[in-house]
Order: sequence, then structure tokens, then C-alpha cells
Amino acid sequence: MSSTDVPVIDDPDAPEVPLAALPTKKVKVRRRGRVAKWLAIAWLVFMTVSAIGANSLPYIPHECSGSTSTCSTAIKGDILTKRELPPSWAFWVDPVNPVLPGKPTHHGLMGTDSNGRDIFARAMLGARNSLIIAGLAITIGLAFGTLLGMVAGYFRGWADTVIENLTNVMLAFPPLLLTIFVVTFFNKPDTAEAAQRPLWPIILALVVLSIPPLTRLVRANTIAYAQRDFVTAARSLGAKRGRILFREILPNIVPTLVSFALTGMALLIIAEGGLAFLGQSVELPIPTWGKMIAEGKEKLRAGAWWISLMPAATMFLTLLSINMLGDVLSQRFNTREAIA
Amino acid sequence: MRYLLRRLAQTIFVVVVVTFLTSVALRFIPGGNEVIIALKTGPGANPEQAEAVIHELGLDRSVIAQYVMWVGDFVSGDWGQTFQTNQSIATEFKRALPVSAYLMVYSQVIALVLAVPVALLSAYRQNSRFDRLASTATFGMLSLPNFIVAPILVLLFSVQRHWFPFPSIYHGLWDSPLDHIKAFALPSITIAIPLYAGYMRVLRADVIGTLQSDFITTARAKGVSTGALLLKHALRPSLFSLVTSAAVQIGALMGGVVIVESYFSMNGMGRVTVEGIFKKEYTTVQYGVALIALVYLAVNLLVDLTYAWIDPRVRRARAMG
Repeated sequence: MSSTDVPVIDDPDAPEVPLAALPTKKVKVRRRGRVAKWLAIAWLVFMTVSAIGANSLPYIPHECSGSTSTCSTAIKGDILTKRELPPSWAFWVDPVNPVLPGKPTHHGLMGTDSNGRDIFARAMLGARNSLIIAGLAITIGLAFGTLLGMVAGYFRGWADTVIENLTNVMLAFPPLLLTIFVVTFFNKPDTAEAAQRPLWPIILALVVLSIPPLTRLVRANTIAYAQRDFVTAARSLGAKRGRILFREILPNIVPTLVSFALTGMALLIIAEGGLAFLGQSVELPIPTWGKMIAEGKEKLRAGAWWISLMPAATMFLTLLSINMLGDVLSQRFNTREAIA
Repeated sequence: MRYLLRRLAQTIFVVVVVTFLTSVALRFIPGGNEVIIALKTGPGANPEQAEAVIHELGLDRSVIAQYVMWVGDFVSGDWGQTFQTNQSIATEFKRALPVSAYLMVYSQVIALVLAVPVALLSAYRQNSRFDRLASTATFGMLSLPNFIVAPILVLLFSVQRHWFPFPSIYHGLWDSPLDHIKAFALPSITIAIPLYAGYMRVLRADVIGTLQSDFITTARAKGVSTGALLLKHALRPSLFSLVTSAAVQIGALMGGVVIVESYFSMNGMGRVTVEGIFKKEYTTVQYGVALIALVYLAVNLLVDLTYAWIDPRVRRARAMG
């Protein structure tokens, strides 16, 4: 059905419909969005399952089952096969190094890196680290950010001034420098212990990074809701502050927070990737996406693109899915708010 | 006026706290003074040398005295030498500043030159094929961190076609313009991609809003051509958010592109500072962080004040807020 079918001339009472709002078009757009949404969810489910089950993926020898740090993702074979092999679907790529007759020339979904380790298996182990780190950090950041933001937005006065200025100070530091500083500060300086670099400094650094913007968001929302009638009503009924904050205001902020948290999680995955890229995240035997991309830098010049680009593609699809879900959620919540 | 004073006071407070924190940071280094002395004099320092180092850095004074001393050094430009290589810290940052500035200017120009026409066309024909394509592509670019874009660009343009050198070698703009452009092209494009995505989305949303206002209908009724309508009538009132976010990015980009600088081996402000952390050149880190934070704060203050000056509504709204 095209725009000319709308009987505007025959019927003077017909509402003028702008082109963009024609029903046919709208349905089409919505269906596209729905497919994309389910693809995004599917990818995230796939990533989560693979990340949880990363230890039992093929190409990871099972002797690694003890602790993750000793986990090796090397494919089995003699020393001559332990070099970068292109993914098996990349039939047009010749291996960078000459391969002995009878040895495989291509390997797996994503190829192998220069130590002959399976990149797909490593990317999934990397997913586990990236998702755990970013997920924990955004959760803790949300808790602190919500508390600070609600206090600042509801009580105003000196508490607001103090929190606002602290937020400004935090935001004045360049974010990546701040995280690197926190991570190096809490890590033992001697390199001998670097192999057991703990997770928590990284999570702490990312929490520090996420608190100021979350505080600002919650504060703005709290101010908006604190002036609404139902809050006044609750107060006049003698509700205590805690009840007003957590039972009246908080439930109204949660939808905004959830969609923002998804975007925030994508940003934290990027930040962790950046840290790993600079060699400041979890230590070597455990791969993270950023680390894998950085490791492929030298081999990229030799033509072995898959070492960098396969983890990069994994990361990109994950970020895209998270962002897309965040977008879908924020749109849905906005419309609900508009109706109410 | 009240807003101006409030904003000024706030910025001064933040500047003082930030510089104070960076200036006394030497006191909290893991390992303490011994580490600094060892870095400065090499292993096995005699007590007099150690004493001299401690005194030079003000670690034997009170926190306040140390801060005053540090501010004095900072303002006078006497920033001392690096611990290990004994190079002038001020010179190091003097070399880093143009690198960061060029990167910032080029990436901003690329992002804006792309974002404005794409956003205008997208908004003008909302939900058209072009708009859907552009919006989807832009949404995808939001999920492309620098460290993913950089390897792809290097693969395409430095490895497969030898158009640009990798890693980039810094050349002054006036010394050899062609080499200069070649060195800065890939890093600037890398930074520009997420920038562009942000700008395009902001501008598209605003132009869509503007195009629904009455004066656009009037202009169209007068027979203004589409091009003139978009450029002369719709663009200007829609620029507010775009200019704000672009201006804020000026400050953020000066020190916030460590990853790109590292990947392309360019010694900008961010990389010099981060390398300082890695090499334990703590005084370099102090000055780097202070510089980057000051640029960021100054730009933000300027942006806010300019808007308050242009648009009185901002002045009122923010003074209340």
C-alpha cells in the first residue's frame, strides 16, 4: 500500500497522515526492530552459556580444571602445528608460516594465535572475565550511585552540595588515567606477583568510574519525583524518610536505571578492554578481549588478521547487543511514562 | 551574575581539590619514600642524597606547605626532571601538547564534517531508506571502541595497502605536510568514529524537533529550497546540544585518547602520563594529570559561561538547579 492509496481528496474529514506515520511503514520498522532485539538476546544468551561453559569447550585440555589461571587453551599437536592458523572458513587465506605436508592448514571457528591456542576458546574465556568484571562493577556502582543520588536529590542542602562537588572532582580526572591509577596503586609493585593479579582492583576502578554519572542521573530523577503529588501525599500521611525514598521514589527510578545500567555495562566492558589493551587488567594466562586484540598487533603486520579481529568481532557483537537491549528498554519505559 | 559566580566558585573548588590530591599523591605511593629515593639516585643511596631528594620534593614538610610549593613549581614552569632518565618534564609535555592538539582538532573536524550532513538528511527524510541505513550504521559505531577500530584500519590501509605508515611517526605540520597528514590520518579517524556517532544522534534528534516547528512550515510556504531550508533555517536552532557536546569533547580528548596514542605509538599528553605511571615517574604523572584536568575544567567552564551569556534561560535554569 503506497501513500497514493490514502483517500485524502475524496474525504475532507480524513486526518492528514504524515508519510512517516503510514501504518504499513510503521509495521515494517517495528518488525525489523523486533528481529534485531531477539538476535541481540540470542547472542547474549549464547555468550553467557559459552562463558559459563568455557572450560569444557573443545580444544581446551581438561587438565586445566583446577584453577583458571593454569588453564591452557593450546590445541594438541607437535611444536610445528603450534603457530597461527587461519579460521577454517577463511579458505582464501594461506597460513602465514609454511605448514608441513599432512598438517592442518586451517583451524576452528576463529583460527589460532601464534602459540597455537584456539582463539574461539580464548574469546569465550575472555567473555567470562569481561562479563563478570563489568557486571559486578555496574551492580556495585548502581548501589552507591543510587544511594548518593537519592540523598542529594531528596535532601538537597549541604548534602547535595557536598555530593555534587565530589562528583565534579571525580569527573575532572581523565577516566582511563583514573582506572589505571587505581589498578596500579592496589597491585603489588613487584612483577613476581603480577601473575596472581587479583580481580578486585579492576572492579574497584570501574566502580569508581561508574559512580559519578549514575549519581547525577539518580539525583535528577529523584528531584523530579520528589515534587510529585504522591510523594507529598505519603509525607502528609506521616511516612518516614526511608519509606518515601525506598518505597515511593526508588521504584519509579528503577526502569530508567535498568536501561542506563545496560549502556553503562557496555561502557565498562569497553573500559576493561582498554585496561587490558594497555596490559593492566587480569594477567596473562587468563585472556580478556582487550588483551587478545593487543596481542595480535604485531602479527597483524604479517597478515594474520584473525588474531586481533576475531576477539574484536566477538566484543563488538556483545557490545552491540547490550546497547540494543538498553535502547529497546529505554524506549519502552519512556512510552509507559508518557501514557501514565 | 549569580550563576556566573556560583559556577566560578565551583570550578575553583574542583581545581583546588584536584591539584591538591595530585600534589600530595607522592606521599601515598606503594613502598613510600624509599621507592622514590631509589628511583632518583639509583640503588644504594647515602643518607645525604636521600635527604636531598626528600627535601627537593617537599616530602619533609607539612601537606599544606608541600601543596604551596608544588603550585609554585607548577605555575613557574619549573617542573624538574624525570627520576630515571633525568629529562626535563616540562619539555616532555611541551612535545606532547601539539600531538594531542592535532589529534583533537583533526578528529573533531572529521566527526563534525560527517555528522552534520548525514544528520540533516536523516532528519529531513525520517524513516527513509537513507535514514534507516545511516541510523543503524551510526548505532553500530557506538559499539566500536578505539581498540577495535584501530587494528581494522591498520590492516586495511597500512598492511594491505601501504598508504599510511604504522606505527605513526610524528612530523610537524610545517616541516613536511604530507608526512604529517599521513601520520595523523588513521589515529584521527579512529577517534572520530565514536565521536561522529554521538554527534549524529544528537543532531538528528534536534533537527527532527526543529523541522516540526511553525517557522519551517512558513519558510517552506515561501518557497525556500530544501537545501536552504535545512542549512539556513533548520540547522542553526538545532545546534545547541551538538555544540555543547562537541565543546565538552575538546577537554576530554586532550588526555582521554591514551589507547589510540599507544596503539599508534604517538606521544600525546595521555600516553606520556600513562607511561609515567608504568615507569614510576610519579612527578610526570602529577603534572600530566593536573594539566589534563585543568584543560578539561577550563573548557567546561567556558562552555557553560558562553551559553549563559548567549541564552539567559540557561542562566536561570542552572542557577536554580
